[in-house]
Amino acid sequence: MRLYETGFLISPNVTEEEADILIQQMADIVTQKNGKMAKLEKWGKRRMAYQIGKFGEAYYVFFHYDGGPDIPLEFGRRFRQMDTILRYLTLVKETQQNVRKKKKAADRRRAKETAAGEPPEPAAEGGTPEPRKREEA
Amino acid sequence: MAREERSERGSYKKFFPPKKKFCRFCQRNVKFIDHKNVDILKKYIPDRGKISPRRITGTCAFHQRKLAEAIKRARLLALLPYVED
Repeated sequence: MRLYETGFLISPNVTEEEADILIQQMADIVTQKNGKMAKLEKWGKRRMAYQIGKFGEAYYVFFHYDGGPDIPLEFGRRFRQMDTILRYLTLVKETQQNVRKKKKAADRRRAKETAAGEPPEPAAEGGTPEPRKREEA
Repeated sequence: MAREERSERGSYKKFFPPKKKFCRFCQRNVKFIDHKNVDILKKYIPDRGKISPRRITGTCAFHQRKLAEAIKRARLLALLPYVED
């Protein structure tokens, strides 16, 4: 089971009710395939940054769901068949938190040093005047 | 003598020191940049629609990578333009 995010654009020549039916159909796929819908975002009709085909607007919909890899595959198959879907994008959401291991480790080290006492500070003070002297000479 | 020459040469820098840049994502401790958050991404694509380089915005390498990815995804979904004139 993984967290996925699928966003798609419905063409503006369908009515709002038709779009809602389509969204409901797509949402049902998730539950049919033993997935769990975490969040359903409907942005409604929105101006696009550039024209796709001859359309300047589209309905934006985003699904966040938890499930197996067959769900996004099924979505892709359906979307490619439909003319009313202008674009779609599926992402696997990162669930692990330890992305910045190096920085975290450095932060922890620094925290430990400051907690232990002030050994790093005098060293830093001693280090700065030297280059200044060199400039004067 | 050498010092005077140097001060003359760098006089502009002396009186108007360049503002220190910093990573705005690090400041807020951001771990994930969402491609749907267009308002934030828009700040990093000036007039032309190009992704502004790190040396100009001051973004750190880690966040610049995430930012570029997010902008490219937003472009695919027509949230941001590929080119703007």
